[in-house]
Amino acid sequence: MSAARAAARAASGLFGSVVGHGLYAILAITAVGCAATVKTDGYFANILMQAATYAIAVFGLSVVLGLCGQINLAQAAFFALGAYAVGLGTADYHIPFWICLAAGMAIAFASGGLLGLSTLRLGGHYLAMVTISFQQILTVVLLNAVWLTHGPDGVSSIKRPDLFAQGQAYLALAVAVLAITGYVVWRLANTRLGRAMRAVRDNEIAASAAGIDVYRTKVAAFAICAALGGLGGGLFAGGFAYVSPDQFAFSDSIVFLTMALLGGVASPVGSVIGTGLLILIPEWLRFLKSVPGLYLAIYGLAVIFIVVFMSDGIWGFIAGMFRRPATAPARPARSLVLKPADSGAPIALEVRRLAKYFGGLKAVDGVDLTVRRGGVHALIGPNGSGKTTMLNVVSGLYRPTAGRILVDGVDATALSAHRRTIAGLGRTFQNIRLFRSMTALENVVIGAERDGNTQVEDGHAATVERARAALEFVGLGDRYGDLVTSFSYGHQRLIEIARALAGNPTVLLLDEPAAGLNSSEKKFLHDLLDKIAAQGLTILIIDHDMTLVAGVARHLTVLNFGRRIADGDTVDVLRQPDVVAAYLGAQ
Amino acid sequence: MALIEVADLDVRYGEIDALRGVTFSIDEGGVVALLGSNGAGKSTTLRAISGLVAPRSGSIVFDGKSIAGLSPQAIVRLGIAHVPEGRRVFPGLTVRENIMLGASNGKASSAAIRREADRMLELFPGIRPFADKLGWTLSGGQQQMVAVARGLMAKPRLLLLDEPSLGLAPVVVQAVFRIIEEINQRGTTVLLVEQNARMALKVANWGYVLETGRLALGGAPDALWSDERIRDAYLGGSQPKASI
Amino acid sequence: MDLVLQLLFTGLGIGAIYALVALGFVLIFRATNVVNFAQGEFSMVAAYLMVVFAVDLGWPYWLSFLLAIGGMALLGAIFNLGVYYPLRNRTFLPVIISTIGASIFLANTVLALYGPQPQVLPGWFDTPGVQFGPVYLDSQYLLIIAVTIALVAFQYWFFEHTLLGKKLQATSQDKEMAALLGIPVARMIMITFVYSAVLGGIAGILVAPILFVSIQMGSTIALKAFAATIIGGFGDVAGAIIGGLALGVIETFGAAYISVPYKDAFAFLVLILFLAFRPRGLFGERVAEKA
Repeated sequence: MSAARAAARAASGLFGSVVGHGLYAILAITAVGCAATVKTDGYFANILMQAATYAIAVFGLSVVLGLCGQINLAQAAFFALGAYAVGLGTADYHIPFWICLAAGMAIAFASGGLLGLSTLRLGGHYLAMVTISFQQILTVVLLNAVWLTHGPDGVSSIKRPDLFAQGQAYLALAVAVLAITGYVVWRLANTRLGRAMRAVRDNEIAASAAGIDVYRTKVAAFAICAALGGLGGGLFAGGFAYVSPDQFAFSDSIVFLTMALLGGVASPVGSVIGTGLLILIPEWLRFLKSVPGLYLAIYGLAVIFIVVFMSDGIWGFIAGMFRRPATAPARPARSLVLKPADSGAPIALEVRRLAKYFGGLKAVDGVDLTVRRGGVHALIGPNGSGKTTMLNVVSGLYRPTAGRILVDGVDATALSAHRRTIAGLGRTFQNIRLFRSMTALENVVIGAERDGNTQVEDGHAATVERARAALEFVGLGDRYGDLVTSFSYGHQRLIEIARALAGNPTVLLLDEPAAGLNSSEKKFLHDLLDKIAAQGLTILIIDHDMTLVAGVARHLTVLNFGRRIADGDTVDVLRQPDVVAAYLGAQ
Repeated sequence: MALIEVADLDVRYGEIDALRGVTFSIDEGGVVALLGSNGAGKSTTLRAISGLVAPRSGSIVFDGKSIAGLSPQAIVRLGIAHVPEGRRVFPGLTVRENIMLGASNGKASSAAIRREADRMLELFPGIRPFADKLGWTLSGGQQQMVAVARGLMAKPRLLLLDEPSLGLAPVVVQAVFRIIEEINQRGTTVLLVEQNARMALKVANWGYVLETGRLALGGAPDALWSDERIRDAYLGGSQPKASI
Repeated sequence: MDLVLQLLFTGLGIGAIYALVALGFVLIFRATNVVNFAQGEFSMVAAYLMVVFAVDLGWPYWLSFLLAIGGMALLGAIFNLGVYYPLRNRTFLPVIISTIGASIFLANTVLALYGPQPQVLPGWFDTPGVQFGPVYLDSQYLLIIAVTIALVAFQYWFFEHTLLGKKLQATSQDKEMAALLGIPVARMIMITFVYSAVLGGIAGILVAPILFVSIQMGSTIALKAFAATIIGGFGDVAGAIIGGLALGVIETFGAAYISVPYKDAFAFLVLILFLAFRPRGLFGERVAEKA
């Protein structure tokens, strides 16, 4: 490879760090400087003020919706909380601006968290409804609690901080806050929390299985979104010195949403683009506002078009045009260390009298399973025998109707899925569940950074090292920077296994790992499983490929109609007449 | 005279090859069993024939007409009815209503269809008492009967049955297979997908075995059953030579 | 006691409107798994159409009604093709946002064409009402209740006693299986959208003489109707009706005994309470799925 190409590759890898940060800093300082010094007429200054404060609120949506995939139709309500905190605080109670701003953010943060609590039971349409209801209730309160909010009259004479009282100075403040929050949101995507949010967005079940507390992640996303909304609202109030309830209605939440979608909901750059366009365009096309309703009608149509044709938004579209730089070769990864926890007991996983009923259907009906430590144990049975249900109950996806599950001697029955992962269970899925927007490395890093991973020291670098080691272990080490969607089906399955191994599990549950693989891929899988078992891990595998199963598994348990019909050494079990009959058909 | 000819059929789900180069034909009047272990591609074959999934390449010719890529509604109008895996009785409709909807491929009047449904219920005495009960209240075996009756309402020349024995107790399975024999005797050609090879080969007059998307074996039921390769297809290569 | 009866009558009247709009929601949801945030706008557009035909053009009431309903049927068809169909295979989020966009588009197009002044639509009857013992029965409220009963009866008959109704039910219970039987699924979905638009339209025309005809009337009604469907159990037809009636009564009593300005907030409070404690509503899943 030529030196020039090597240099280009290295540079592209660098972009995310030094060069990127540098560029951002330069842009930010320039923007703030211009805002402070360049003279603009009052009208234009107002436009910029509105754009800056709105963009901060839209950053919030890029977190909760863009990063975490949760719908929030109440951003105008959080904006209002911040605006009224500053408005009432400075005008009525003469509390200093900064304290009001902080209080507004805190109140918004708390309400956002509360709204996020509703995600425990609800998602999708119901969540949308809850957020709309919250928005509507707040609007009603703003209009009617006149003793507190001044009702429809609104709040005037809102004060600014003394240091930034002058128009241009305040605008510069707003732009500076915009730059800082933009930076925070930009970097959030690559923090542990940000990765957790993206995982929840891409595949909740897999996120849970990888050790992420999905619920807490969603609540955090809501809280952060609301806090940013409150921050924008507080600055807005100071900027315009007057607020009234009709500025914070449901339609304004839709405006925020459209700004987020237009620019591209997944990134703060998109937020800025979307906000800028949707505030500036109507100004340039001022005639649209002369006919009441025309502007918003086009707005509504635009939303539909964007959703149908340009779901990644403008920035998403632009960013998508640049081909990803190929993964830069890095120094070789360390070899993967698998050190499963070992309480000393000979049994790594035990299931006692497990039952799972779906209404009248007894999918699993009183099954005992004992998996000895080390080596591969297979769970087989014809279609509909209950194997996958059983695996899902053991890994925490379903609550058992009855029975107990013990992992390394500890009762895990009451633990949620992500807590079982922390307790030492790792798993893969029959329908591959990778985080499709991320690279192979990011997927495996998520597995590595689960709580309680004894094989990883503190710090991000250590988890990256471990993730690279895991990818190397499954043979994909040099493609760590590629998006998982660019891998073949068979390789995607290996990445899933690497993700589970990175978490250093005690017991590895594999759900039909051979499904969809061709014969050479199956051979590779066979060798890989032997390698894993050789390091002392316990594996419980479900599969239909008997050649593979007979080759790797020492011990076999057979289910039929939800009950256990055989259990013992592989060779013996496969010869038993009732096992053969279960597969080929009974007498 | 071949009623349906499948040639070189290739079906893909995303990246996965579900079927590769599958070729077989079915003569009118027979019961053909399509066997294989889970994931072998049996259901995919039926879904390609009934139009639920479009093949990537290859041809399906029914009664001289190419049907690959047609919509399911068009294919059932041509005379192929598919009773899919899992029965899929409409849970909120009664047994009678379920059966009546089986005639949706034609233009008969509502009254005529009702009469047909009554006649169909005579053929399935096991479910006649439940005619006005909602679908979800029935047991698995009863639902299977309803699904088959519903399929027959389309007056198909070819009936595709996907795993009718799935999840059913052995004695119920016997009842289902008796019905299959009766249907065939009345003139309907049946393509039967089954994991339960023994029962399927008892009613069939020809059989094929799929293994990971390819046709591995084909032959008369007795020959297939005694061929040790059928055990390998289901249970891997570890089987002893003795038969059951 | 007289007051209670009066409030009950009024509450049922307004509840009937919520029930009709809620029905429209639920039918679309059952057939397509889409929550149609533009449902309220169907009511609003129909009311404006009535104003154009009956007031501006002065045409006979019954003729205007038929034309308005015809317009709604057309709108439902266009909505199906333009908003739902392109997104039918996407996840719920783009679809929700798209229907929200449609609702904004519809509301503001009417605003652009007609102007922001609220309009007045006269009622069907000339006599304002009739005294029945202690209770004054406003004639428009009577009409609302009567039409709602008729519509619900018609719908019951249609769904339970016609083959087409059964095909519609089958489509919403299992689309793929319906296709396998030969049922034209796309056509069933089109019928559902058209019917829901007509339902929403009728509700809008019925309630218009009581409220002003305004751009906002749609979204207020729709959000309440949505709350009603949650209360009744989302996806349940009977639940939508009962939830609508219940909400109308709760809201009316709440306005009378607690506070008028906050009555709008009641609907949302009840909604949040149900979502928090009993998300499947009063009737939950009408049919238990055997796994």
